Amino acid sequence: MRKKRWVPWVLVGPALLIIVLTTIYPLLAALYFSFHKYKLRSPPQFAVQIGDGGISIDWSLLTLDNYALAFSDSRFINSLQVTFWFTVISVALSVIIGLGIAVIVQKGGKLHTLTKVLLIFPFAVSPALKGYSWRFMLNENYGIYDLLIDSLVIKPINFLLSILNALPIVEIPLLSESIVWLGDKFWALFMLAMSETWGWAPLIALMFVGALGSIDEQIFEAARIDGANRAQIFFRVTLPLLRPVILIITMLKTIFSLKMFDQVVTMTGGGPVRATQTINYYIHQVGFVRSLDIGYASAMSYILVVVLTICAALYVSLVLNRD
Amino acid sequence: MTAATKIKPSAWQRSAKALETAALLLIIAFIVLPILWLAITAIKPQEKAYTTDIIFMPTLDNFEIIFSDESVIINEGTERERGEVGRNMIPNVINSVVVSGATILIAIPLATLAAYAFSRYQFLGNGILLVWILTTQFIPAIVVAIPFFTLFRTVEVFDRPLLGTQLGLIIVNMSIVLPYAIWMIKGFVDALPGEIEEAAFVDGCNDFQILFFISLPLIRPGVLVASVFAFIMSWNEFLFALIIGREMRTMQVALMTTSGARGIMWEQMAAAGMVVMIPIFFLALFIRKNVVDGLTMGAVK
Repeated sequence: MRKKRWVPWVLVGPALLIIVLTTIYPLLAALYFSFHKYKLRSPPQFAVQIGDGGISIDWSLLTLDNYALAFSDSRFINSLQVTFWFTVISVALSVIIGLGIAVIVQKGGKLHTLTKVLLIFPFAVSPALKGYSWRFMLNENYGIYDLLIDSLVIKPINFLLSILNALPIVEIPLLSESIVWLGDKFWALFMLAMSETWGWAPLIALMFVGALGSIDEQIFEAARIDGANRAQIFFRVTLPLLRPVILIITMLKTIFSLKMFDQVVTMTGGGPVRATQTINYYIHQVGFVRSLDIGYASAMSYILVVVLTICAALYVSLVLNRD
Repeated sequence: MTAATKIKPSAWQRSAKALETAALLLIIAFIVLPILWLAITAIKPQEKAYTTDIIFMPTLDNFEIIFSDESVIINEGTERERGEVGRNMIPNVINSVVVSGATILIAIPLATLAAYAFSRYQFLGNGILLVWILTTQFIPAIVVAIPFFTLFRTVEVFDRPLLGTQLGLIIVNMSIVLPYAIWMIKGFVDALPGEIEEAAFVDGCNDFQILFFISLPLIRPGVLVASVFAFIMSWNEFLFALIIGREMRTMQVALMTTSGARGIMWEQMAAAGMVVMIPIFFLALFIRKNVVDGLTMGAVK
């Protein structure tokens, strides 16, 4: 159509320039910092000096110490493990619950429509606020979740167990009714993942509702005529058809989970005993709260960049190869 | 089939229907409970905040406390008048509004022009550029924050270091808002049929006349949706606000200041939470149909 070749560059230029300055510049700078001893308390000595005599490079100031430190730092290794498990739990729960919600909500009906509208609500709650509200609700003394879990889950199970125990066959220990959710290493991480699931499962449900809606109704009709029941239709027809979308959503959620930060600050503060210190949280601690070690923080964040680059490459190839 | 076997499936169907209704109610409870509980706590009197009671006299005391400078007297007339020092979060609200507002005022026009070019022109590497813009979203925010933190400590604007200023936060916010906005608006331009522009071209309009007089008015609703989405993103942003914003606290960071002698003062946190949440609630409802496209940059359709 129109062929003035400079026009698109004029249009794209300003936005592109800002994106480059706000993403490429920090990527390069952080990489550069990561090879230096650089603490906030003392002015850093950089290898590249630009003086009157042009550019001089002092190679002796470059170091791999920060990377070496990362792999011997048990707290960093811990943060990798925490992030891994957080990602696994939150991605699995978000995608499975999201798909479940979508399948139930997808059909017509007033209550279905109402639920579909409500699905957007967790998106409006900022992650920081999400963290606080969950922390409040999980409190062992006055938390509404604590109360609900105790009375709707733990007490009924204990009731059943006590009946079983009354028979002189087995002796099963009862569940504790006084779990301090955020004071327990496992439960704190699990609940952190649950708060993330609360925010994401509804959004993922919305994504699946869209994807389900674009499947030709005749396919389901054919399966029904062939005598398939609901479960068979779901596992043999719906799931295989959704496979590409499931993969894309899983990858996208994985990337978001790997970057987890906000709720850790407001919900658990990394505790108890570092059990919820994700990579991002630990980097923030090192760089801005405790040792103020910018060089080390940069090195660790670069390890995160490598992991995310792999995920991003997978994601892009999934999206591009979809049709 | 006999009459008896006809009734049976309908009974079965009815219980399936009941099960489905129960599942829907469970989903609604799962979604709504945290929001509802926060809203309830925000209007609870202080002495009820640390209980699960739902019977109480609603009060706006908590909002008064978070928005006033002076101490607010609670339980007036009782023997021991308990007062609360006001937190005055008005500056924080202003910070949030200014930062998010300025972010979209800068980002959206630039994103609109770029999105239009990506949609309507073939130019060297446009496909690769577009995918590259997508991948910038996978850069962890902490990597962006570290160098800008050190840079903004030394760079001064109007004799003030950029660190801890609204301008500093606005600049860094561009890194997350611009790419999303470009992808989102591009989707709207793609959906616009090119014939109208062709006709304008034949009638002698140049590229910019077509863009400003023909295309832009047509994609205005899409640009509005992208603006709202971008506003929500920067409003809810926390990591940059914490590291770059520093003492210039946005509301997200100000939530952390609701702690005091009693630990976190939940009723105040809830009230501040309502202030953070309610405007976004309506905005989110407004762009409900586009949120998924925005978050996935159109990857799931």
